[in-house]
Amino acid sequence: MDLLKRFVQGDVEAFEKLFRQFQSDVYGWALRIVRDPGIAEDLTVETFWKIYQARARFNPDAPFSSWARRIATNLAIDHVRRRRPEMELSEEMTGVRSPDSLVMCERREKIARAFERLPTKLRVTATLALIEERPYQEIADALGKPVTTIRTRVFRAVRILRDQLNRAGVKP
Amino acid sequence: MTEGDEKEIQELLQEAFPPVTPELRRDLWPAMLRKLDAPTLAPPWYDWALIWGSAGMLALFPQLILLFAYHF
Repeated sequence: MDLLKRFVQGDVEAFEKLFRQFQSDVYGWALRIVRDPGIAEDLTVETFWKIYQARARFNPDAPFSSWARRIATNLAIDHVRRRRPEMELSEEMTGVRSPDSLVMCERREKIARAFERLPTKLRVTATLALIEERPYQEIADALGKPVTTIRTRVFRAVRILRDQLNRAGVKP
Repeated sequence: MTEGDEKEIQELLQEAFPPVTPELRRDLWPAMLRKLDAPTLAPPWYDWALIWGSAGMLALFPQLILLFAYHF
């Protein structure tokens, strides 16, 4: 019997095969959004847990990877929304450095803070489109939105960031 | 706003947030198995009683919604 059909019927071996086949993809996608390997691992397990629980609602004729990625995206967005802003700054930004790198750190910190102030949906879309350079169609599929919405979100994110960074005195 | 603006902002963001390496460091199936084997925590009966009690109160006294809305 087909792997997906066996999974829908609750076959754990089929689920394990699907897990092993798609864990890297789900992890990679979650990591691109949350940017923390440990959290991305947790979200990967959580994504497959939700997939397993919702297996009866899965259409075996639909692509499994799209479904998994959509669930991972929603979980990652929830995580980004809940995360406290001060947790976003990496050790590299807060560590002890030379005067030159202190200036660079300060600059990166200003950029990071401006980015944190974006609404979550804009931030996640901008992360995937601008930082990770993922194609708009791929982002649209993962977020379950039309490409035009993604384009609009990127446009709005860029406009807000440009204004905030100008005010903070950060020039390209 | 021009395409140049977008490129400039993109460069600034990539300066602050270098792209990640999305390679999985370990197999996560053992962690998945632990989660599958863990007992599901169902809410205790008194949580349900509280939820239904609160819903009943709000149904009987809808003006309480305004009171809660004011305080929260």
